[in-house]
Amino acid sequence: MDLQFFGSCVLQFCVAMVATVCFSLAFQVPRRHFVACGTAGAVGWVVYIICTAAGLSMPAATLVATFPLAGISRFFAITHRAPVTLFLLCAIFPLVPGAGIYYTAYYLLNNEQILFASKGVETLKTAVALAMGIAIVCSIPLPRRISRHQYRGPKMN
Amino acid sequence: MTDRAMEMVVEAGKAMLENGGEVFRAQDTMEIMAHSLGIQEFRVYVLTNGIFASAEGEDGPISAVRHVPRVSVHLGRVEAVNAISRELAEGKLDLDSAEKALHDACAIPAYGFKVSLLAGAVGSGCFAFLFGGAGPEIVTAFCAGIAEMLIMQLFHKGGVSKVFTDIAAAAACTALALAVRPLWGAGYNPSGAIIGALMVLTPGVALTMGIRDIINADYLSGTIRLFDALLCAGCLACGVALTYMVALSFWRIPL
Repeated sequence: MDLQFFGSCVLQFCVAMVATVCFSLAFQVPRRHFVACGTAGAVGWVVYIICTAAGLSMPAATLVATFPLAGISRFFAITHRAPVTLFLLCAIFPLVPGAGIYYTAYYLLNNEQILFASKGVETLKTAVALAMGIAIVCSIPLPRRISRHQYRGPKMN
Repeated sequence: MTDRAMEMVVEAGKAMLENGGEVFRAQDTMEIMAHSLGIQEFRVYVLTNGIFASAEGEDGPISAVRHVPRVSVHLGRVEAVNAISRELAEGKLDLDSAEKALHDACAIPAYGFKVSLLAGAVGSGCFAFLFGGAGPEIVTAFCAGIAEMLIMQLFHKGGVSKVFTDIAAAAACTALALAVRPLWGAGYNPSGAIIGALMVLTPGVALTMGIRDIINADYLSGTIRLFDALLCAGCLACGVALTYMVALSFWRIPL
């Protein structure tokens, strides 16, 4: 990793953080969680760009990026005693394949059927990768000692 | 007494769904609350857009059904309702104070009009940068973000359907990005600006939560959300495509 790439990563980190905080605002997240949301989103995005720079495909990079993202979200859910959704929903936004949706429509319009099909499939794969990554991390059970502090309340039965 | 407790529990579940909580969370919360309030034989089934619950009251069985047609995400309220359920479970609240707390939770205000507008605009600008845009794209995306947030807010107040709101917002930001083309000259790439502005509208929440619901084996709820996401994505594509076609056929603006 050379210096220039590192510099651009730092810049991307900051911008991704601001973008995620904007989304937390749109989702009416209370102010005290802004930094946590921003951090989770920015880490996810930076991991994503490092993975794509290393040559991973978009869905694979998204899958890898959701691991630290969801992990950080769970961490903040425990320390802030708030539902993990709060952090997760805001933080995944940079990784949502919005560009994929756009290009799929764009190629459809340009009558470029092959590009349309490949972009459409890639978009779908990215979306599934995103959800799978979250599901994997969120289904890792925590030790009882920690999960008791998590926000879902005591389990019945 | 049980009637009141039941009412309160179901209203809490409804508040959770309405403000963007997941199905399993709403179900969990309601079960915990009912257990803490001592409701007998509490059974509940939650869908993305509905709650069905029954319990054993003092004078025979009671049931409650709620329809939750429209979701507007307000995670602050989800957090507040969750806090109530935890405090109930810890025995810190009784029924009266829980009712009051729920009422307060549902009254947590949203951020103001100007703040949301600014958030949408800055978010759009940031995404234009993240997706490789330079100065012109970022500024255009910023303006397009303002335009689409204005449309979203006004249409929401006017009660316009979500489908049409999405199409109009996507069309507006595409139109704006194409219209400013002569202003920026050769280095400007409208796609970059449009993607930045579209990110704010993408159905990321519905898509991810839908797949999460399915992985949680809530197939019906997951399908509802996935269709919601699909419809929203279709609307965005439709709005962009329509504007492109109009621009192409009336003003000969190339794609």
